[in-house]
Amino acid sequence: MSYTFDFASVFRNMAPLWDGLLVTIQLTIAANVIGLTLGFVLALLVMSRWRAIRLPVTLFIEFFRCTPAIIQIVWFFYCVPMLFNVFLGSVTMGIMALGLNLAAFNAEAYRASIQAVPREQLDAGVALGLTPFQRVLYIILPTAVRNSVPVLLTNGIGTFQQSALVAIVAVQDLMYQGKTLATLTYRPIETFTIVALVYFAVSFPVSQIVGYLERRREVLAS
Amino acid sequence: MSDTAPLIKIEGLHKSYGGVVQVLQGLDIEMTAGDRVVIIGPSGGGKSTLLRVLMGLEQIDRGSITFGGNPYISAKSGKTAIDAKVRRSIGMVFQHYTLFPHLDVIGNLILAPTKVRGEKKADARERAMALLTRFGLAQKANAYPAQLSGGQKQRVAIARALMLDPKLMLFDEVTSALDPELVAEVEQVILQLAHQQMPMVIVTHDMWFARNIASRVIFCAGGVVVEDGPPEQVLGSPKEERTREFIERVFHIKH
Amino acid sequence: MTFNFAVVFKFQDALLLGLLTTLKLTLICIVLGCALGFFLALARTSKSAILRGVSSIYVEFFRGTPVLVQLFWVFFCLPLVLGVELSNLASGVIALTLYMGAITSETFRASLKSVGQEQLDACVALGLSPWARTMNVVLPQAVLRAAPTLLSNCVSLFKESALVSAVGMADLMFVGQNISNNTARPVEVLTVVALIYFVIAFPLTRAVTVIEHRILKRLAV
Repeated sequence: MSYTFDFASVFRNMAPLWDGLLVTIQLTIAANVIGLTLGFVLALLVMSRWRAIRLPVTLFIEFFRCTPAIIQIVWFFYCVPMLFNVFLGSVTMGIMALGLNLAAFNAEAYRASIQAVPREQLDAGVALGLTPFQRVLYIILPTAVRNSVPVLLTNGIGTFQQSALVAIVAVQDLMYQGKTLATLTYRPIETFTIVALVYFAVSFPVSQIVGYLERRREVLAS
Repeated sequence: MSDTAPLIKIEGLHKSYGGVVQVLQGLDIEMTAGDRVVIIGPSGGGKSTLLRVLMGLEQIDRGSITFGGNPYISAKSGKTAIDAKVRRSIGMVFQHYTLFPHLDVIGNLILAPTKVRGEKKADARERAMALLTRFGLAQKANAYPAQLSGGQKQRVAIARALMLDPKLMLFDEVTSALDPELVAEVEQVILQLAHQQMPMVIVTHDMWFARNIASRVIFCAGGVVVEDGPPEQVLGSPKEERTREFIERVFHIKH
Repeated sequence: MTFNFAVVFKFQDALLLGLLTTLKLTLICIVLGCALGFFLALARTSKSAILRGVSSIYVEFFRGTPVLVQLFWVFFCLPLVLGVELSNLASGVIALTLYMGAITSETFRASLKSVGQEQLDACVALGLSPWARTMNVVLPQAVLRAAPTLLSNCVSLFKESALVSAVGMADLMFVGQNISNNTARPVEVLTVVALIYFVIAFPLTRAVTVIEHRILKRLAV
């Protein structure tokens, strides 16, 4: 290979990467706030008794789960302004697109863990004379939320990685700054390697935590 | 082979887990082809480990086992040598059935004969159907294990082991995982085999079944043979204090 | 505003061509990625610490970075590293196969682990050779157990394949964006493109649920 490495010219221009990382983290945290709250509401709605509520919510969730995230983001950036005559600033748009996507995946995680609460637990609640509302509040929710933590964390860090997609619609996140820097310095290998390592450095610890939580649960369950 | 020549001869068998937990501490047992040995004793006394050693599933620390006069298992300089050919003449049934869930009943029965001996599929199927009919399972030939009751699964497991024409059968607590009403159908199959003079070693907690089927009962505790004799003696009027205590506890009776 | 979906139908041939590229890319990478994933799973459970270490780092790295970054790396950096030009399709196949290998290796690893010690004991008791044990007992059960998750992995790959549009490969997403730019009708065009992805992915995710249920019932012993 004839390529000579030159990390120095990339390190001299780290400032934009740093700015980009801050935008990426901002996108991730805000999208997770939407994903965790809206996802929970969606999960409750999707288990509703009424078909008229269940059906549209299911469709919403499945649509986000079954189409590429990149098209959701592109759609959001080009179509929402045309349809509603608003443009809220690129970072806000990015947050909303990523947040809705995450909400759909989190709704599924919440639903699965709510439905996984064993029937005997509810029977015990009935036997103890708890009202239906108390059964939800004291038995279903604590168990379900605790059980869904690993998946919610995995989804959350997934959004951190997905957020790189907003670079395609020119939001100046880590990926975007990396692309620009690679062009400016003619150093794609060094730049994209550093960008990849930065993403990895944030994702890896979280995935290790998820692994630890799952192993601990297996031990507790056995 | 005459009824009195030893089929199995265990000498000075030692076995530990990781060199720390001593499970078997110098077992000596001889068994003839006419014997139906039931091993009883407290949990952790080494009964199941002994059976697993006999099946060649475990490493041993010291000692040797011969089968029909031929060397079978021995420990030499920390390594366990197991004669695979001898091992193929022994069959074993486990507590948790261990049927292959991805194969139907017939598939479970013919896998080993076709793969181990190279028997023709059609021949193996024919023998399998005969066995299943004998055990009242002919209609279940194409069912998958998940569609069977525990008692049916265990009878299939016994039939699967018999497909290799074993010269000795090992039963490791085969009714312990079953619902009480399903125990009898499995015990009946084992009794059927006993009447056909199949040599067997049985580990069980069921003292009534032990008395019914055993020609010989061995009480194992702390990794050694404490008492060994005919069922009426070991279960009825044990000589050893430790045996007596155990029998009293499981039968809830005083002698 | 008014909608004009007729615009989209004018370009149906172009969209179909894009879809074919997407499907071709996805199918090639499913086959290569699953094979890679299976060997990675074996490497991660191997006795050799070197094999285990290298394969773990590989898998964790590909699971821990955005696919878009991986794609950019393969498209813009790999040719420099190798010193050869790579066609768009070759680059796309390499990038997505590496990604698919990483995610399916986790699937295979979990399913290999699920074939318990008791099953292996039963093989010994029946005198099966190690080869017969692997081919007739471990592999079929591992594949059965992996099937539903592998199918979801395939759906994920199908969706992620849309990223190749960002590096100029003429897949469904790329064609859709081009038409949308040229006609200034993003709402109609992008919605139809999204629907095409949905119509393919959604039935597959339903199938995952059905297959999972059946297999669990079959293997519940």
